[in-house]
Amino acid sequence: MAQMKFYCDAERCIECNACVTACKNEHEIPWGVNRRRVVTIKDGEQGERSLSVACMHCADAPCATVCPVDCFYTTGDGIVLHDKDICIGCGYCFYACPFGAPQFPEQAAFASRGKMDKCTFCAGGPEEDHSSNEYKKYGRNRLSEGKLPLCAEMCSTHALLAGDADVLSDIYRKRVINRGASAFEWGVNQLKS
Amino acid sequence: MLSLVLTLAFGLQLSSADASNIPPQKPNVPDGVSALNPGSDLWREVRRRDGVGEFNEVNQGVLVKDLLSEIQRSRQVPQGISQVNQVDSGVMINAKGRRWAAFRMTTLASYSGIALAAIFVIIITFYVVRGKVPIEGGLSGNMVKRFTDYERITHWTLAVVFLLLAITGLILLLGRPLLIPLFGKEAFALLASASKEGHNLFGPLFLVSLIMMLISFARRNIYEKGDLTWLLKGGGLIGKGHASGGFFNMGEKTWYWMVILIGLVISISGLILVSPNFGQGRLIMELMHIVHAVSAMILIVVSVGHMYLGSIGSEGALEGMKTGYVDINWADAHHDRWGKHCHEEDLIVSAEEYARMQGQPADSAEPAMEQGK
Repeated sequence: MAQMKFYCDAERCIECNACVTACKNEHEIPWGVNRRRVVTIKDGEQGERSLSVACMHCADAPCATVCPVDCFYTTGDGIVLHDKDICIGCGYCFYACPFGAPQFPEQAAFASRGKMDKCTFCAGGPEEDHSSNEYKKYGRNRLSEGKLPLCAEMCSTHALLAGDADVLSDIYRKRVINRGASAFEWGVNQLKS
Repeated sequence: MLSLVLTLAFGLQLSSADASNIPPQKPNVPDGVSALNPGSDLWREVRRRDGVGEFNEVNQGVLVKDLLSEIQRSRQVPQGISQVNQVDSGVMINAKGRRWAAFRMTTLASYSGIALAAIFVIIITFYVVRGKVPIEGGLSGNMVKRFTDYERITHWTLAVVFLLLAITGLILLLGRPLLIPLFGKEAFALLASASKEGHNLFGPLFLVSLIMMLISFARRNIYEKGDLTWLLKGGGLIGKGHASGGFFNMGEKTWYWMVILIGLVISISGLILVSPNFGQGRLIMELMHIVHAVSAMILIVVSVGHMYLGSIGSEGALEGMKTGYVDINWADAHHDRWGKHCHEEDLIVSAEEYARMQGQPADSAEPAMEQGK
């Protein structure tokens, strides 16, 4: 079985936010919910880097550990999904998640939380594949159509990669070698990367 | 041969020396250019590590202290920025989440379960050993007014709201290990969802009834002379004979101030948790969750003792909160200074009069009440 992973290359990400937009559009995500976001570290300073962050589909997911109703499950592809019929919207997964992936639509007064929403690796949810219920709750199921997550598919610099962990690490390893181990050259050499 | 020995000795000395004493080597690079790997530089920034020697500080020590220092640090040095305008969206990695999750699922859940089981075992053992504490000389039938209707409504509102909050809170904390194996995920999700909504709904009511409690009972719960003697005599729980007490004894006063102070802590932390729309980040939420849960567990455990002493633990005690009247013998036994005051002021309602007050319909009961006073 494949182990699905995201990888974002900090030396390539140009903070264009296309992945964020693509994700929102593909899954028709409601206002205020962002399954993916781009974070820029040291903005405007030397060593500025951006990374696109969403659910990283952890092998030992803290959200699943802390969930009071145990609504998370890991698919055979290593994708962490959750059941919105069981989720009670307590917000604990958001506190436990290192990446801030779980999102909550504001439902009523004082921003009381609705059912949690997060990146599904474009793999839908526990509902029947391609059913309208699945689309409404979890968004498009691209994986069952043999497609990879849209955010990675349309990344213009190929900074964001999605797919089998072995394939991704091979790609990244080649990149590092081609960069000539930029650590020793004090920075990034675009020609080599 | 000699050089080999020297090298070995030198090597051993180096390895035994404290690693932090070795000054970090400064790379020979022009000023202003970082010779560090940009990847590790980024990682250091993301994991909030300032440099060599600080690695050990991550995820160690007391969790609350760890959270507080991280909150302070994130105020001073924000991690990053994001075009997505949300709480904590600029934070790439929240390093404390995992520690908090581990605390909630192992430390908090297990200690709460143990504390609950322990208090019930203690109470049952105490009941078996000591039994119901009787009133010396039995009930006289002559009553004295202890609580007004307003005070009783305040007490029972707080009690009911507290119990609902305690039960729903415990369902959310202990439901996954204890109830999911029994009911399955789907059924438990319904219960947990109702618990969450109920907890959020009754939470603000708890604060309101707590303030009512503060207003109506605070004056009589101020510590006074004689409270120390009560404490030294063990409140009459240990050994024979009753300890001297006023309208409220020292134990009741302490319970009252526990409810007020811990209750306020629970209410404030709960309000912060329930309304995530004031920009409070995950670190604050994690901290507030710990404060909320730990203080609530303390109050729940002590409340079991209060419920026991107010009902089956002590004869005639429940009457006061049920009807507002208590037997004068009970008052003399448990609150002798107040009982003496009742005798002196002639506040005692005779058994016949009390029966008439209870038996008559509400509209004609009013004059009898006046007479009783």
